[in-house]
Amino acid sequence: MQQSRRDFLKTTSIATSAVLIGFYAPVKGMAKQLETSKISEPNAFIKIESDNTITFIMGQAEMGQGVYSTMAMCIAEELDASWENIIFEPAPVKPVYARPGAGIMMTGGSGSITNHQEQVRKVGAAVKEMIKKAAAKKWGVRVFDVTTENSYVINKRTSEKLPYGDFVETIKKQKVPTDVKLKKPSEYKLIGKPMKRHPKEVEEKITGKATFGIDLRLPNMKYAALIHPKVFGAKIESFDDTKAKEVSGVLKIKQLPNQKIAVIADYWWQAKKAADLVEVNWDEGDFAKVNTETLKEEYQKRLDTDENPVMRKDGDIDKAFKEAYKTVEAQYDFPFLAHAMMEPLNCTVHHKKDSAYISLGSQFQTSVRNLCAEILGIDNEKVEYHNTYLGSSFGRRAPGNLDYIKDAIYTSKDESYPVMTLWSREDDIKQGNYRPMTKSSAKLSIDKEGNITGFKAKLINQSLGRGTMFEPFLLKNGIDGTQREGLENHPYKIENNDLQAYCPESPISVLWLRSVGHTVSAPIVDCIIDQGASAANMDPIDFRIKNLKDERFVNLLKNVAKQSDWYNRKKGTGYGVGIAESFGSIVAYVVKVKVENNDYKVEKVWGAVDCGYAFNPYNVENQIMSAVNFAIGYTKYSELTIENGSTVQNNFYDYEVNRLKDIPDINVEIINSGAKLGGIGEPGVPPMFPAIANALYDATNKRYTAYPIKLG
Amino acid sequence: MKTIVIDGKKFDVEEIPEDTPLLWAMRDYLNLTGTKFGCGVSMCGACSVLLDGKTVRSCQTQLSDAIGKSVTTIENTEDNEINTLRKFWKKEDVAQCGYCQPGQIINAAGFLKSNKNPTKEEIVEAMNGNICRCGTYNKILKAISQTAKEI
Repeated sequence: MQQSRRDFLKTTSIATSAVLIGFYAPVKGMAKQLETSKISEPNAFIKIESDNTITFIMGQAEMGQGVYSTMAMCIAEELDASWENIIFEPAPVKPVYARPGAGIMMTGGSGSITNHQEQVRKVGAAVKEMIKKAAAKKWGVRVFDVTTENSYVINKRTSEKLPYGDFVETIKKQKVPTDVKLKKPSEYKLIGKPMKRHPKEVEEKITGKATFGIDLRLPNMKYAALIHPKVFGAKIESFDDTKAKEVSGVLKIKQLPNQKIAVIADYWWQAKKAADLVEVNWDEGDFAKVNTETLKEEYQKRLDTDENPVMRKDGDIDKAFKEAYKTVEAQYDFPFLAHAMMEPLNCTVHHKKDSAYISLGSQFQTSVRNLCAEILGIDNEKVEYHNTYLGSSFGRRAPGNLDYIKDAIYTSKDESYPVMTLWSREDDIKQGNYRPMTKSSAKLSIDKEGNITGFKAKLINQSLGRGTMFEPFLLKNGIDGTQREGLENHPYKIENNDLQAYCPESPISVLWLRSVGHTVSAPIVDCIIDQGASAANMDPIDFRIKNLKDERFVNLLKNVAKQSDWYNRKKGTGYGVGIAESFGSIVAYVVKVKVENNDYKVEKVWGAVDCGYAFNPYNVENQIMSAVNFAIGYTKYSELTIENGSTVQNNFYDYEVNRLKDIPDINVEIINSGAKLGGIGEPGVPPMFPAIANALYDATNKRYTAYPIKLG
Repeated sequence: MKTIVIDGKKFDVEEIPEDTPLLWAMRDYLNLTGTKFGCGVSMCGACSVLLDGKTVRSCQTQLSDAIGKSVTTIENTEDNEINTLRKFWKKEDVAQCGYCQPGQIINAAGFLKSNKNPTKEEIVEAMNGNICRCGTYNKILKAISQTAKEI
């Protein structure tokens, strides 16, 4: 029997009485609209039931970054609720869950805590006040005489204790207070404390019970496999599905409007087998002549000219270079990268008569829901959306072109049954939405005292915005906003800057990969800085400290220097430093590499993080560990190349990622500087790239500038 | 009747084509979704299960090879190694996105059944075929080392 989420909620509403509290908080987190709604319209953040079960309705997607746990800490803190007993439920698509300022529900840019903590804390605080008021009335005491703890309200005079659930009915009649006070940091019981991941989430994830998009099972559900264009941008001329149709279980083979063919079968394995038998005549177009080398030649022409769009120009760079004591320069090359998130891409759609159901683990709930409505020709409100856990993402489940979601909606359109459209790993590796291939150059001038006087850089890579819903926001004056990240706003005191960027076009779709533009800007900036230190004959950390603007950066460098005993290290033994700010947080590393037999291993990482204030220091450490390992894989192994217009690599055997043997020992220290809150899912990645390259320089006396970095 | 035993429960697999990989037989025909699809070519370990106590990649194991045998998956609640691993998985707070963790735990369980007293190097070697894109490896290693000591 099919039980949709809504039915489930209806069922629970019969079993228990419940209250739902929500706010519209589009601007500054101030409560503006109360919604105490019926249980079938859970337009709110928390649901308290008469048996004292507290459900937190999460607008953010959990993809491994720990957002469920930390957001639950925020609400439990102010609500004085038992954090361990909170239950999670993914939110439906409603404006109330939108990211403030963005207008859509989204999880990305390491922005969940920074954007939503105040909002959910205010919800928690308001509900607590309402329960206290109701309890005070019941006991005939002043609100002052009532306190709260672990989802219970306590009469301070008599020590009588009642569960929050007892007040579900009475608080429904109350007005939601709009002037709630949030706790001061000194009053925190949860926020700022090192908390492991929420036990309910952990239990699901170690028993196989966690539902990822790929695990969704609906009655009469079918599965689809896809045939994608072999060459980027190729068009279908004709296809022969005679053999494919003979595979048992195959129900339908159809061409989709986006130059793909879907094979629907009873089971995915049948669909996949049949898809491999479909013979397609492709109009491959001119891109079939393109390979990595021809792209590089095209990009190089842009590096060789100064006629590129200007990102930043101040001072007189020619004068700075002319008068320099020394200059250093380098070219940096970065390959196309696939996210290769663990759970292959999938999306389940059921096109009903005048409505639809769509389910997947997505970072872009609103956009997915709206696309579904648009393609199926129904109202947005007629689409029931269900978000699941994401089997990691790194940005791939937030595609600007909504590629795999389109596939699934087109596939399910007009079919009587729900269909899960599932990409194979090969589809994932070969079908674009890559971190863009990049060629770049950087040049630095220094004076006799070791001051940096000039910085010139050029960045050539495809625009992430072009051709997507983000184009109007991202692509301006020929420069993509993500090209500016970490480059335009580099942290060094430099008076003469000449920064240029250019966005070549190609049919290969590109996308944000964890840390986005910083995956190239951090190695460019921090490696040329390291080269500058060598030219100035200065210690790499001292040189940075001398030239950095912001004390927060300096403090982190001093911290990692101390942790690693930097100043007593033996030179030439593989120590390197890296520092970068991204998504509002600054991370510094010292790494130690071991070079042996023309290969290398990152042995030890000392990290320091300033994200303003760590809401959950344990999760901060976990995210840094994740980021360190992620960056090691992308430094050592991963690379996609193009031949005859298609991606050469196929799967984890030729697109390698980091594995257990690659792990370093990691030590992380957190500096609560009190600066504006920053994110943590991404900021640990960027500075690892330069730290490793700079350590390899220390070990080998050679500057490695092409990624992935292979010795010899 | 063709049957396989999965986590102590007998399943009739008469209707499932024998060349179906065990992974897809479990996930799609039997709706046992705890075991995960990651790569389909034995390169990531997400689909690891124990076949008569030995680790196999279920994406590369045909159903016909499992008929009449006993399969242990992440959904198992009785297995000593799996349960002890779970205990240390919690202690070390290993899981992030969680998608690869079923395969990690099962691969580790199979390994610990064959090697009761592993060195760190042996654990690394045994677990190197299991990819975790969240990079929880440091904690996987710690959790397995502690499990080995307790078992």
